Amino acid sequence: MLSEKHFYSLIDNLIWIILVVVFIFFVTQSEHFMTERNISNILTAAAVLGVLVVGQTFVLISGNFDLSTESTLGLGALLGLWLIVPAAAPTFGGGIFLNPFLAIGAVLFAGAAIGYAVGCLITFGRMHNFIVTLAVLLIIRGFILAFSEGAPVNGFNNPSADIFYWLGHQKAFFIPGVGKITVAVVATGLLFLVSHFILKHHKFGRELYAIGGNRKAAEQLGINANRRIRQVYMISGLLAAFAGWMLAGRVVSIQSNLGEGFIFTVFAGAVIGGVSLQGGRGTMLGALGGVLLLSTIDRGLNLMHVSVFWVKVIQGLIILVAMFLDAQRVRLRELRLSVSNENFEQKVSPKDEV
Amino acid sequence: MNYLEMKNIAKNFGAINALQGVDFSIKAGEAVGLMGDNGAGKSTLMKIIAGNLRPSSGEVSVQGKEAIFSSPLDARRLGIEIVYQDLALCDNLTAAANVFLGRELRSGFGIIHRLKHKAMNERAAELFKELKSETRPKDLVERMSGGQRQAVALARTRLSDPKLVLLDEPTAAISVRQVAEVLARIAHLRDTGHAVILVSHRMGDVFQVCDRVVVLRRGRKIADKPISQSSPEEVTGLITGALEAV
Repeated sequence: MLSEKHFYSLIDNLIWIILVVVFIFFVTQSEHFMTERNISNILTAAAVLGVLVVGQTFVLISGNFDLSTESTLGLGALLGLWLIVPAAAPTFGGGIFLNPFLAIGAVLFAGAAIGYAVGCLITFGRMHNFIVTLAVLLIIRGFILAFSEGAPVNGFNNPSADIFYWLGHQKAFFIPGVGKITVAVVATGLLFLVSHFILKHHKFGRELYAIGGNRKAAEQLGINANRRIRQVYMISGLLAAFAGWMLAGRVVSIQSNLGEGFIFTVFAGAVIGGVSLQGGRGTMLGALGGVLLLSTIDRGLNLMHVSVFWVKVIQGLIILVAMFLDAQRVRLRELRLSVSNENFEQKVSPKDEV
Repeated sequence: MNYLEMKNIAKNFGAINALQGVDFSIKAGEAVGLMGDNGAGKSTLMKIIAGNLRPSSGEVSVQGKEAIFSSPLDARRLGIEIVYQDLALCDNLTAAANVFLGRELRSGFGIIHRLKHKAMNERAAELFKELKSETRPKDLVERMSGGQRQAVALARTRLSDPKLVLLDEPTAAISVRQVAEVLARIAHLRDTGHAVILVSHRMGDVFQVCDRVVVLRRGRKIADKPISQSSPEEVTGLITGALEAV
């Protein structure tokens, strides 16, 4: 029988065990899996998802949801390129020819502003986070479609656009055995490290856990929960826009439906990695494991030539499994707690009870 | 001089008058029992003292100086600590994290800092030892018994040496043996010069450790007298309305 400490350690690190098992499975299924090209593809695909999952993890730990990030991602990509390229075909930009660095700044500012506005609606407006972020998801997507009139924005043969694409496209270095590492992968890795530090070693992270665990208690102890929630949504929006900038460099032609449906994968990545939908639980490292697992499964199924339709089914099943595991974690915690309370009560003499 | 002086305190929530014209004071080294039926205004008064609520009118002064609390942190800075009835614990955090919640030890400057986990764990372990509790600082609170959880809440009050400690129903959800320990701690606080306000429905507890009893009914103070000049029967009558104000 496992000691309590080892038991909880096993539950909290389950994602890494699953990742190793899944990795080994795909290695046995395809000779192309364990190649530098494929490993590099897994990491590159994980980068954009990873950035969104970091933002969502902060929000989930505070006890909230943010459904709007997939639309903010699309807006970030489209807006950034639109500000840079000519209006005429084949670019269909705004003809503003904004300096690409200013365009990047505008994208990030827009994302942060959207996130902050969402936070204000939820805190000052006392509106439910699920409904608010769902509404904002639809509003922004509708705005993108109306604004672009359904046409893509492209950066063909445009040096300014090349600067905009740099984050998502540029190779950083090469690691033997792992393959080409892009700037996006490095940026996402650094983002996870910094975010992990904030959650574990910074007052901001500690307060997010407290608010997610017991908001009333946190406020009774002087924590300004509403202010933290607005900040967390601002971070989520900023990172969604950053992910949009990153994704632009990978797809080059920005369609108006870019990112649609992505939010489910983002939630799946966070929840599989151990971040609880109830708030107050989860780690950035666990979320990283969830991101890598999803990316590994996606690439592995692709190499096995599994139809994209069945990939959707499998992704849905993964989300269900993740939710099931989360529910079991809660149940097992409660079971262990009731057992340890019984053991404590047995130490108190019966004659002490009234 | 009274440590805490409250004059003509009123608190309204819309049309509801939770408190009306309440005067309250307490000295260092004094334990006051605050009693009253549900809805009498005890929790509201406690929240005003602890800085969670601002009074609608009236004056609050601490050590002779006017005090306006915009948050619990202001009250803490003036030496007021509270142990809430539900203990205000976050189950998802460790015992040490709960003890230091809102006033974590940090190294660094301003926003660039790092939490000092080791120092917090060590200090929390010292506090639990002083409280004679088996609580371990790195354990999650969700895995703790009622007595251990209470030790965590009490340890919070000893982080800084408070001048006034408020205890809201501290013996409501613990075993008989633990009740004796809690009452002993309250007596120790009083005997070492701290002011203590005990909100409790348990008459025996109040009459055992308190010097004075204050009774609220429907938002008004109807009694404020030394324990030695009262009795459980009189206080019961005051709470229920069988006896008028004394």
